[in-house]
Amino acid sequence: MADTLPLAEAKSLVARARAGDFAALERLYRTYERPVYTLARRLTKSAEDAEDVLQETFLEVCRSLRQWRGEGSLWGWIRTIAASKALMRYRREKLREWEPLEDDVLAARAGVDVPLRMDLEAALERLPERSRAVVWLHDVEGYTHEEIAELMGMTTSFSKSQLARAHDRLRRWLDAGVGA
Amino acid sequence: MSEMRHGTSEELLALRDGEGSAWIREHVAQCAACVAELERLEQVRSQLRALPSFAPPRDRWPVVRQAARLERRRRQASWWAGTLAAAAMVVLSLLVLRHRSPAPQDASLRQAMAESAAMEQVFRSLAPDDRAMTGRTAGVVADLEDRLAQVDAALNDPSAQRADPGRVAELWRQRAGLLSALVDVHETRATYAGL
Repeated sequence: MADTLPLAEAKSLVARARAGDFAALERLYRTYERPVYTLARRLTKSAEDAEDVLQETFLEVCRSLRQWRGEGSLWGWIRTIAASKALMRYRREKLREWEPLEDDVLAARAGVDVPLRMDLEAALERLPERSRAVVWLHDVEGYTHEEIAELMGMTTSFSKSQLARAHDRLRRWLDAGVGA
Repeated sequence: MSEMRHGTSEELLALRDGEGSAWIREHVAQCAACVAELERLEQVRSQLRALPSFAPPRDRWPVVRQAARLERRRRQASWWAGTLAAAAMVVLSLLVLRHRSPAPQDASLRQAMAESAAMEQVFRSLAPDDRAMTGRTAGVVADLEDRLAQVDAALNDPSAQRADPGRVAELWRQRAGLLSALVDVHETRATYAGL
């Protein structure tokens, strides 16, 4: 998503919010709540987790407003906070999804039959969390593999191979052929 | 004759992202299957970017606002605690100085502290919190508050004060000046807003 706030307006709102103007803070919240929540939904495993990330992100934004110097996009700054908050949950929860599981194991966990063909939304949802995070951050948000590696605490080559494996799986699930 | 190797997903994704190796570039120029796969990868990326966004199911703003308010109050309380600590430090210094030979800088220090205290009172009487202000004004206020916090931090540093006792009066004068500037900003704002 491109930043919807012009830089001058963003700077003005941030300065007012820093000085304790809650109307300005609310305007920032309303501008970015949807993109932050969408990013959080793509990087976490449930709507509840995404809501928590949304809240944690804006509390961090309130605390750290002085750190945004108005030199880059405000959305870029907020987005990185949101991504860090979402990815931090992996570490906290010690999820063991790092190595991709077999499709039937994933399906059994979800309690559903593996459909012969899925739409992209469902296929994306079905990816292991970290693979989904790499796909989303790289292909949609435009993060480089180096940036993803730094955010997720892994190597650049691992980020590249996660992206490739995720695309292989998406291809399999999206293909029209029976037995995909 | 050996079968031609196709590009791997990783190689094709690198090419899609403008980072492909020389081999994959050359290979794609002559392999229809890899061209098709490359186009498919580009399509998937476009489709991913076109997926709809999500609206949060509940409004979390009231929770965020409440938490932000509490945090701001805590910060202000800690600012006041810092101010009081600085004042206590100077009173102690004065008591010590009084037992020594009187120095001309004592009077200057007392005057600077009195000015700062008076300005502080005026500033607080304006109740500057929770009022709307323009971005330009807010920027000025935030800058003045930052500088005030730096002065308070210096006043709270006893080792620096021991090293240069004459600096304390200068810091208190700076503090009074910054508070005076804040009062000016808020008074101007109140006049314009008809408050």
